[in-house]
This record gives sequence, structure tokens and C-alpha cells, in this order.
Amino acid sequence: MPVRIAHLLNVLALLAISFVLLFAFYDQFANGDLPCPLCLLQRAGFVIVGTGLALNVLLGVDARHYGLMLLGAVAGGAAALRQVALHVVPGTGGYGAPFLGMHFYSWAFVLFAVVVLGTGVMLALGPARVSERVRRGGLGLVAVALFAVMALGNGVSTLAECGVGLCPDNPTSYEALDSLLGR
Amino acid sequence: MMTLPFFICAGALFSAWRGHRSIAALLTVIALLVLFVLFRLHATDVLDIDL
Repeated sequence: MPVRIAHLLNVLALLAISFVLLFAFYDQFANGDLPCPLCLLQRAGFVIVGTGLALNVLLGVDARHYGLMLLGAVAGGAAALRQVALHVVPGTGGYGAPFLGMHFYSWAFVLFAVVVLGTGVMLALGPARVSERVRRGGLGLVAVALFAVMALGNGVSTLAECGVGLCPDNPTSYEALDSLLGR
Repeated sequence: MMTLPFFICAGALFSAWRGHRSIAALLTVIALLVLFVLFRLHATDVLDIDL
């Protein structure tokens, strides 16, 4: 696969990951669904996958970056599978409202599986290692900037919800922010 | 604690932007390790399924 095509596919995948995180933010703020700890771990998995993609975009396609993506997808997928297992028994309910017939954690597991498959294909078809950088283009920079905003935004949002400690199992408010503001 | 993977990855992005490949990769690995630790700390409920 030509380097330019591999670079473009990484940019598009990074935009897709940013869109996933953006949609999670939309659900969080528009519908008031606070992310649970396992949900946050899944978001962190997407952020690690996105970081691997961003490294490919900024520094050139490299098998090591794909390796980081695979590890992030496995970690995030494990958190998603854990949450699926918590609710898989009929009658135990789910966390949050379903979207297109499945809960977010089920979708997350599917997406992490897609990441693993896609990364495997890129490793099989792409250049084994490219040391030279691809010139930083407009769309690539936009994708990296959007993703950086998503990563930092999730960090700030999680800080407002959980503070510097662990998150409550069933969050009902932005506890750390409320505590800081004396509410 | 839960914020760490996000901010560490943001640091990795900044390092990659500056061209520091090794530091960016190292930070991403650290974020991954933190994620595994947080997963271990949060996966405490017994699953009601028959494996």
C-alpha cells in the first residue's frame, strides 16, 4: 500500500475516533448521561487508539504505532466486554439509553473489534516501517487538533466528575466540580 | 486517577507534535498501563454469569 494512502486512511480513522468521542460528549451533555467508570475506561481506550493514529499522522506510519493501537483496543474492549457481561443476563437492565438497538458499551466493543481488524489489515498491507514523515497536510492537522481537543476535554470532564480519585460506580452529578463550587 | 490516561495521551500528542517519537510512544505505553490498573481497581463486582 502506498504511504500516501496509508497516511490518508490513518487521518480518516482518527476523524472517526474523534467523532465517536464527540458523540459520547453529546450524549453526556445533551441527554445528561454521566459516564460510569467503565464507560470512562472505554473512552480512554479510544483515546489510546487515537493517539496511535495521531502518531502515524504526525510522525509517519510505523508498525509500533499500530501496536499501541492494538493494545489500546484490547484494553478498551476488555472494559466494554466487562460491562456487557454485567448486563448480559436478561432482566438485569443496562446502563444508559440504547442507541440504534444497542447500549454504548456494546457499540464500543464492536468498534474496538473493528479497530483490531482494521489495524491487522493495515499491518498486512501497509509498509512495514516508514521512517520518513509524510508532509503534514491540512486534513491531518485538523484531525489531530480535533482529537487533541477530545482527549483534553475528556480529561477535564472526568476531573469534574471524579476529582483526582476513583469514580463512583453510579455517578449522579459532577461531584468534584460541585464540591469545588460549594454546591 | 481516572483523568490520567487522557492527560498522558495529550502529553503524547504534544511530544509527537514536537517530533519526539520515543517520548510520545513511552507516554502512550504509560497511559495504557494506567488504564489497566484503573480497570483492575474498578472491576470489583462479581459477574452473575456462568463461565
